[in-house]
Amino acid sequence: MTLTIAINTLREALRKKTLYVLIGLGLLVMLVLPVIPTTDEPDARIKMMLVVFFQIVVLLCIAGVIFLSATSLPHEIEDRTIYGILSKPIARVKVIMGKILGFALLSAILLAILGLLNMAVIQHLASNLPEEYRGIVKARTEFAASQFDIQGKLHHAREGITWIEGGRAGIARWTFSDLRKKPANKSAFEAEFSPKIESSRGFVDTIPLVVRVEDTNLRRSKTEVLPARVDKPFIVKIDTESVQENSVMHITVFPVHPTDYIGVTQEDVKVFSIQKGFVSNYTKAVIITFLKFLLIIVIAVMGSTYLSAPVSIVSAFVVFLCGHILEYIKDFSLLIQCNDVHDHVLPAMLEKPNILLVYMDYLIKKPLEWISFVLPDFKRFDSLKFLLKGINIPIETVGVSFGYTAVYAGICLFISAIIFKKREFL
Amino acid sequence: MLGLLFPTSGKSWLLGYPSGDLTVKRKIGFLPEESYLYKFLNAEEILDFYAKLFDIPKKERKRRIDTLIHDVGLVSYCKRPLNQYSKGMLRRIGLAQAIINDPELVILDEPTSGLDPIGSREMKDLILEFKRQGKTVVLSSHLLADVQDICDRIAILNKGVLQVIGGVKELLSQRDVIEFMVKNLSEIDIQAVKSFIEGRSGNVVSINHPSATLEELFINIIQHR
Repeated sequence: MTLTIAINTLREALRKKTLYVLIGLGLLVMLVLPVIPTTDEPDARIKMMLVVFFQIVVLLCIAGVIFLSATSLPHEIEDRTIYGILSKPIARVKVIMGKILGFALLSAILLAILGLLNMAVIQHLASNLPEEYRGIVKARTEFAASQFDIQGKLHHAREGITWIEGGRAGIARWTFSDLRKKPANKSAFEAEFSPKIESSRGFVDTIPLVVRVEDTNLRRSKTEVLPARVDKPFIVKIDTESVQENSVMHITVFPVHPTDYIGVTQEDVKVFSIQKGFVSNYTKAVIITFLKFLLIIVIAVMGSTYLSAPVSIVSAFVVFLCGHILEYIKDFSLLIQCNDVHDHVLPAMLEKPNILLVYMDYLIKKPLEWISFVLPDFKRFDSLKFLLKGINIPIETVGVSFGYTAVYAGICLFISAIIFKKREFL
Repeated sequence: MLGLLFPTSGKSWLLGYPSGDLTVKRKIGFLPEESYLYKFLNAEEILDFYAKLFDIPKKERKRRIDTLIHDVGLVSYCKRPLNQYSKGMLRRIGLAQAIINDPELVILDEPTSGLDPIGSREMKDLILEFKRQGKTVVLSSHLLADVQDICDRIAILNKGVLQVIGGVKELLSQRDVIEFMVKNLSEIDIQAVKSFIEGRSGNVVSINHPSATLEELFINIIQHR
């Protein structure tokens, strides 16, 4: 019965051309992309395709889906088609579940069509990319350094950045001890360096660095001199043979010239295992995006069990917006917390609390804390950051997103069921 | 009765179950005051949708839909979306959805409202057909002629309070008035009968030629042209 309601909901969106309008809008946005000028970087167009799809097209579709899911039940009640359903032997909660499932199916169709198209275009563009720029269409697994130390003399340290002088005065060393835990056997490795550079010769945008990759178990090493640029990380390919089971790898770096300096932190060198997994990575990103759709659908339907159509739409949009700025809401409530209720001169003299701040505490801070606690965190579903860096989306991330959606949606469904069960239809 | 509203006090049962219970809803058909149907569907689709809510198996669903569409006279229009239907057609498809589950009890709210005389007659004929099939029909209407026409028993509610309940004939019959209906009686004979009655215990209230209802007249005229 839930499926019957779901299919009817989907059919309504199809017959009323809503789905076609959303697909059309998405296609239109993506068709405009090839004519928009980009930077000279060869992978800029692909980055643009990804950003536009996961931010603009998805946002357009979410707006459409919010509009539909927030108005569906109110319209059923207003048009009284709800009589026809509720007079039949179907539990009210199943009606809500059917609505949610219907819009979830709609979202899945939207994402599948537009996502497939976007992915096909990206793969076509990637086939013409030079090898060094093809990282964006790979699925790399990231390994962070387990240890970081400076051998020799460090020049100075400021704001968490350690600076070393060139010419072997100091050597930065990163140790990676868990490289074999995650990657598949045939995967290749690469290290990405993003140190800060400076020179006593004046402003330079490139300095030569000595980079040494050493496998301590096999006692193999490889040393290269590579140019480090101010604004762009550089990549070193690591021979797969030199990384073996349980091996510990050291990467040491220092500037060639004594006049050059590098500023480094533990996070400045990352090792990636590279797999040709763009399709699966992209699919995972789309699945996470779908979960985002599902969550906002459940919230919109929940609102619509009680609210009128316009109020329901506005509420769903407000929740969606606030769900993206939860960090700011939390930060703002913390800022209010910093104020001491006795910190103003006159109240302090009178040894009475500042009434304004007391009210602010109750009227703004506490509600903000509650809002940030209750609202869904949509930032959790940001998968674009992985795709833009060509980083493999860990299956755990998908699992956590799924679990978060399931728990949150479950609570919303429970509340919706209670509200809808108590509603009367005159 | 259908669980759309909750009682402010008291309890009610239908067919032995608390009203609004899902089990009893399987045995009930309901036609609301207006045909509140999904206008983007066609007749077959809307009946299929409601039939699925009763978990009717696919083959049986198909059989019932074909039969009902035929019975309500919409075979030629069954592929058209409902937004192209006239009000009468919507009432008929509404009635079809109300009996898609072959209910024991059919609840009809103003079934003839807004219908032209022929549509109204057809609707009443369909309701009488339910009676012949042994179904109980509960009909609520402000059109008293319709009620008188098709109901066996009536109840009159005023502001939610039951005023009267009973058989139509029983409630409408005036026990202290006798009506003779005689065909082709001459004026002399009428006067003789009148004198005879007045010579006995009765008083003549009126002597009339009985008339057909307007609805009967209209249908006679339309059907004979």
